[in-house]
Order: sequence, then structure tokens, then C-alpha cells
Amino acid sequence: MLTYAARRLIDLLVILFGVSVLVFLMIRLIPGDAVQILLGANTEVTPEQIATLRHTLGLDQPVLVQYGGWLSGILRGNLGQSVWTGAPIGEEIMARLPVTLELTVIPLLLASALAIPLGILTASWRNSGVERALRFLTIAGITTPAFWLGTLFIYVAFLIAPRWATIGYVPFSTDPLGHLSRMVLPVIALALPLLAGLIRILRSSLLEVLGQDFIRTARSKGLSERRVLYRHALRNAMVPLLTVLGIQAGYLFGGAIVVEQVFAIPGFGRLIVGAINERNYALVQGSILVVTAGFVLINFLVDLLYAAVDPRVEYR
Amino acid sequence: MKSRLIALAIPMLVATAGAQQVERGGTLQLAVDQSPVGLDPHVATAFSTFVVTGQIYESLLEVDANLKIRPLLASKYTRSDDGLTYTFTLRPGVKFHNGDALSAGDVVYSMNRVKDPKTASPLASRLSSVTSVKASGPLQVTFTLSKPYAPFLSEVATIDIVDQKYVEGGGNLQRAAIGTGPFVFKQWIPDTALVLDKNPAYWAKGQPYLDGLKFNIVPDASTRQIGLQGGTYQFLPNIDASVAATLKTAPGVQLLRSQDLAYSLLGMNVSRKPFDDPRVREALNYAINRPEIVQGVYFGDAVPGGPIPPALKTYATPVSNFPCYTYSPAKAKDLLRQAGYPNGVDFSILTFSTIKTVSDAAQVLQAELAPAGFRAKIDIQEFGNFVQNWRNSNFDAFVSLNGGSVDPDGQLYRTVVSGGSTNVFKYKDPAVDALLEQGRSTTSNGSRVRTYAQLQKTLACRGPAAFLAYGALYSATRSEVQGFTPNPTRSLAALKTTWIKR
Repeated sequence: MLTYAARRLIDLLVILFGVSVLVFLMIRLIPGDAVQILLGANTEVTPEQIATLRHTLGLDQPVLVQYGGWLSGILRGNLGQSVWTGAPIGEEIMARLPVTLELTVIPLLLASALAIPLGILTASWRNSGVERALRFLTIAGITTPAFWLGTLFIYVAFLIAPRWATIGYVPFSTDPLGHLSRMVLPVIALALPLLAGLIRILRSSLLEVLGQDFIRTARSKGLSERRVLYRHALRNAMVPLLTVLGIQAGYLFGGAIVVEQVFAIPGFGRLIVGAINERNYALVQGSILVVTAGFVLINFLVDLLYAAVDPRVEYR
Repeated sequence: MKSRLIALAIPMLVATAGAQQVERGGTLQLAVDQSPVGLDPHVATAFSTFVVTGQIYESLLEVDANLKIRPLLASKYTRSDDGLTYTFTLRPGVKFHNGDALSAGDVVYSMNRVKDPKTASPLASRLSSVTSVKASGPLQVTFTLSKPYAPFLSEVATIDIVDQKYVEGGGNLQRAAIGTGPFVFKQWIPDTALVLDKNPAYWAKGQPYLDGLKFNIVPDASTRQIGLQGGTYQFLPNIDASVAATLKTAPGVQLLRSQDLAYSLLGMNVSRKPFDDPRVREALNYAINRPEIVQGVYFGDAVPGGPIPPALKTYATPVSNFPCYTYSPAKAKDLLRQAGYPNGVDFSILTFSTIKTVSDAAQVLQAELAPAGFRAKIDIQEFGNFVQNWRNSNFDAFVSLNGGSVDPDGQLYRTVVSGGSTNVFKYKDPAVDALLEQGRSTTSNGSRVRTYAQLQKTLACRGPAAFLAYGALYSATRSEVQGFTPNPTRSLAALKTTWIKR
């Protein structure tokens, strides 16, 4: 177990190194560098001024030298500075981290807490009226994009409760009620499509498990249906659910970009999109690196959880 | 030196509230689509920065809603008869937000900071005619010019005065802001809001009326609109006609309109075929149905315009004087034939999608131009990509929106003069160059008007760009917001006399 964890951590470092190279090169492959984008069209800038600025920002150095400088900074715990404002990137990221964690963890908990009973329900009450209605809703949930739900929610909330503060973001520490009031809708908009997906997966994996030989054996040795379902079937059906959960968590952590745009929430997604539009190289690199680390860590945790739900899983 | 008094100290902005009693206090909630890129007014180019810094900093002069130049930090200014020396007298008792007193030294420092190549300020070329800036008294600054420069005052009006002591003491103007303006920078919450407080020591007694401004950063257009309708936001500055149209019937919302100085254009690369031939450029103008663009792209809320914005009433030639502005595919075909293209021409239009009127105009043009034999392919690119190709003149033609200027020189010079910084068309015409030089060095108003009339005649039909239309610019506010006058330059300076009715 410990050697397994250690090996996975080494994998993590290798992945992060690979990502750092990729991100570094990719953002430089997009046409237009920070200086050109920001000076934009329609300004009176001369080519000499562009050259000066590029030199100040170190963008005129060979790519390898730029990369070396950035990497050695990271190894010393310094993600660099924002190209334009000189703000430390570590600070910019830390400002977004709690927001993004909240928007990742709450929808995930909510969706998984509801997915388990509802998944069992749809699997065990197959073809009943309730189940058919739920199945219809889950398909609707999977196919509805979260940003559309978001806009719809804001609009409906405005119609039924015009005084309800739904847009924007205030930190919990300054205004707990205002914070919660603004978080309700984005959390639901993110949780619903996730929940719908999880229910479908749990249902089909449960049905598959319930058709297997060991379930027949369990039933024939006289176990109650409850015991069969919860103790034998559910634990086996949890493995695919966990896999999907891990991947979805990674996506959410990378920033539910569109939902953040709609609700004007300052999370990771907007940080990255803004940085790409500004060609703020160091900021793009730093934040993608952090998101990747988060993604890999979550999936590492999921791998460890496999053993908890399925004793057959062994770590070597 | 013999000097002539140009402007007396005029009490700046008389309260615009009219008969109504001004009510003080409250924070105005504004919604804007983008975070500022940084707060340094000498380095920024993004409009999202100027909206905010315009409340914090002030210039020597300002351009009012009627595009008149008025004194601001300078209470008066004089120009020598030869047009080579300008002397500004600063308003006494003005303080920066940190308590430092405004002095002539700060003005000299700000001008030199803009001119310094190390600052890489995009404003530097506006001071290119200035050879020296000196403090000629504790509250007096003298500018010396190398040659008479007519747009000098309108250029000086765009340069904000920063606090020398603060900047030299290591203050980072990109992240903090210390100015003399009506509002004080309080907090920048990334991707959330910029918070400004009232400047209690503002030099104009009794202003501003509001206790503060909050610029909420709301990237999604429909969220901003619902937010305004629901009262979460009270002010959406500078929205275009299509958004304004959707808010027209919303209860509790009022629309404030002004003419935009910015214009849509179809630019041509005159170093490439077929637009190297002036006859082809003239043909293209005949092939454009401008009233249709006004209807189809701007919902009727725009005016066709020539090289100079109609808002600059003294200078703009009415478009009815340009023969090529009368839609005529037949004339266009004829000119194309004369130019040696009896079967028409194929070319591509470079454009981008982030401004709706721009990409819409490209599509309407594509359809309009085809019957006259201009077969266009539209190439919509990501904005950064567009800018790069635009700057490198890597296009046959492009459709875009150009920011306007309050002076005809600012409007035309850098865009069409040979080798000009935004002359991406690669246009070269010695006669035009001579007129442009004449226009900027003549200080007599009558002969300036004649010079620009001649320039417009040359540029309207055979110039490197087909000028399309000047749109309307709106600010949408809750109806309780009073006292704001929209400005064609998009400046929000009038927020200092804005108040909320309770």
C-alpha cells in the first residue's frame, strides 16, 4: 500500500513535468503574444515600443531559457508574476482556490448523496411509473447544459423572488447569508447534470451486478433482498461510479467555466480563460499546473477508495 | 513673450440635475464585462481599465459631452502667438488621494513618464511634438513644441497626472491607483469587482454626490441585463444598440443615448491586388449599401459616416457630398471593368467575432458586394489572431471597429499617413501626407476646416478604407439614477455629478 502510494506520487511528478512542458509550449503556439494582444488594435504603438516591452517581459529570450527560468522558479515555490500587474501568481491562485473548492465539493457531495438512493431506486423498481419518470428526468438532466440551467435559474429566480441575490460572489467570512444565497443556484446548476449522469451509471452497473451468479447464490442461501442489494450488489456496483466521480471532480475543479461566467463567480475557470485571452503566459502556466495537480490527486484518492469498496482490489 | 488668453477659469460642471434637488449618498452598482488589465493609466490600452481609472485620475483638460475641451486640473492655459509654447496654470489646493499636494512637478513627471521609451506608453506619440515640459512656477507648467500642433490640447486631455512622490517611492500603478479624481481606489477583488470610495477632499466643492462606485465584473451579457432589471445593478455603461433594444421596454430602466465616435470600416490592403487600384476601391464603395448596413447591423440606430465622425460637426463633410456613397452596383461593375476586372474579383475579409456589429457587418457586406462582382470569403479569427494579422498587414481586406478621436488629426493622421502606426493598409499618397501635415500645423480654424474637407473628399471614395457607419452608444441605468450625461468618448467622468433618487 505505502509503496503503491509512493509510486503514484512519483507518477504525479512525471505527469506534472510533462504538463508543464506542454502548457508552456502550447500557450506560445497560439498566435499573438501578450504584448500584441494588450496593445491591441488601434493604438499608436511603434514597433520599437513593442520590442522594448517584449524585452522587459523577457519574451525576446529563447524559449528554452524562458522555460528554464520558469521551472527553476517553481522548484523554489515561486510560480512567477502576472505579466501585466506584477501580482504574484501564487496569490491569484490562492484567491480562487476556496471558491473553486466550494463549487467542486458541494455539488459532488450533493450529487453522490442523492445518486445512491435514486440509482438503487431506478434499478430495483425497474419499469414502474416512478422509475420511468426518473429515467426521463435523468436523460433530460444529462443533455441539459449547466450554463443554460444557470441562465434559466437566474431568470426564474428574478420572476418569483426579485429580491433574492443570485448573482455575483461574496466571501462567507464577510457575509455568510449573502454567500449562501448566491451559491444555491450555481451549486444546483452544477449538481443536477452530474446527479443525472451518476444515477444512470449506478442503475446500469447495479442491473449488471444483479444479473450475476453470486447474487443468485446469495439469494438461494436465503439472504434477505435488502442484504443482497446493499451488501453484495451495491458494493460491486460502486466501482464504476467512483471512476466517473473522480473524472467529474477533476472537471469541476478545473473550473465550471461557463457556470462561473453566468453567475459572475471568480473561480479557476474564469482565471484561466482571462489569462489565455490576455496571453498572460505565467498565469496560464501556473493555474493549469495547479488544476492538473488537483485532477491527478483526486484520481489518486479514487484509486485508494476502490480498495475500500471492493476488497478484491489489491495494491502492488 | 506675447500671450493670448484662450480660456478663462470656467466653473467646471454645473450640477446637471436642473431644477431637481440633488440627493447625496449611496453606492452606485455598475456592471462591466471585463476586469481591467492593470490600473496604470499611462500603460493601459484596454477600455476596461479607462472606465475605472477615469474616476481616479484627472488630466489637465477634459473633453465634455459636446466634445468641447474644458479646463480640469489646469484652471487656465495660454498659447503663444507662434503656437510653440503652451502655459498651464494649475488649480490651487488640489491634493492626491494620499494627501500629497498636486504641483507642477507632478505634471512634468507625468508627461516625461509617458514620453520615456522605458514606460512603453501607447500615449507617447501624442507628445511627439513636445520638446520640453518645464515647471515655470509651483503651479505653472510650460510645454515647448518643435512645431505648431493643432491637436495638442485634445492630446494633453488624454494624459492623466500621477503622483511623482508615490511612483518614485515604489508604488505599483498597475495594482494601486493614487490620483486627484472624485473617487478613491479602495479595493480590487479579482474577477469580482473594483470598489471606489468618494474622495472627501475633492477640489470641486460638494462633489461627488455618491458615496462610492462598485464596478461589478459580470462577463455574461444576459446576466448583466437580468441584474439590471432586478436591481442588482444600477448602471450598464456603454452598451451597443442591439443590447439597448432588448432593454427598451424593461420597467424601471432608462436608456441614455449618445453618438459613438467609433466607426465600422472595411479596410483594404493597397499593397495587394485588387485593392492596389484606386478604381477598385471606388467600385467597392459604390457596391456598399450603407443604409442597409445601418438597418441590418445597427437596427437603424446608426448613421452612415465618412472619414471624420458626424459628431465632429465643425469638420465632418455630409455623406451626401460623397458620390460613391450612393449605392450603385452598375457603377461598381463599370469601374471594375475599367480597372481590368471584367469578371469581378475574389478576396477574403479578415474579421473577428467578439464585437457583434463587426461580424454582422462582415456578413451583410459579403451579401451586398456579390452582385457587383466582389466575391468575398469571410475569415473569422480569434481576436488575438486577428490583431496579429491586422498589425502585420496580412489580409486582403478586414472589417473592424476603429475608435474615434475628438480631433480630425487624431482620427486620420496615424491611420492614413505614409508609415503611420495604424496605417495597416500600407497606404501612401504624398498629396494626402502633405494635407495631413498642414492640418496638424495650422492653428487657424477656417483653414483647418478647408484642409480636412479636401482630405475627406480624397479619402471617402478612393482611400484605403470604406467607412461604413457610426453607431449609437447607450448607457442603461435604473430610473432612479440621475444626473449622468453620456459622452461620445465613452468617458464616465459625469459619474461625479450622478446621484440616486430615493
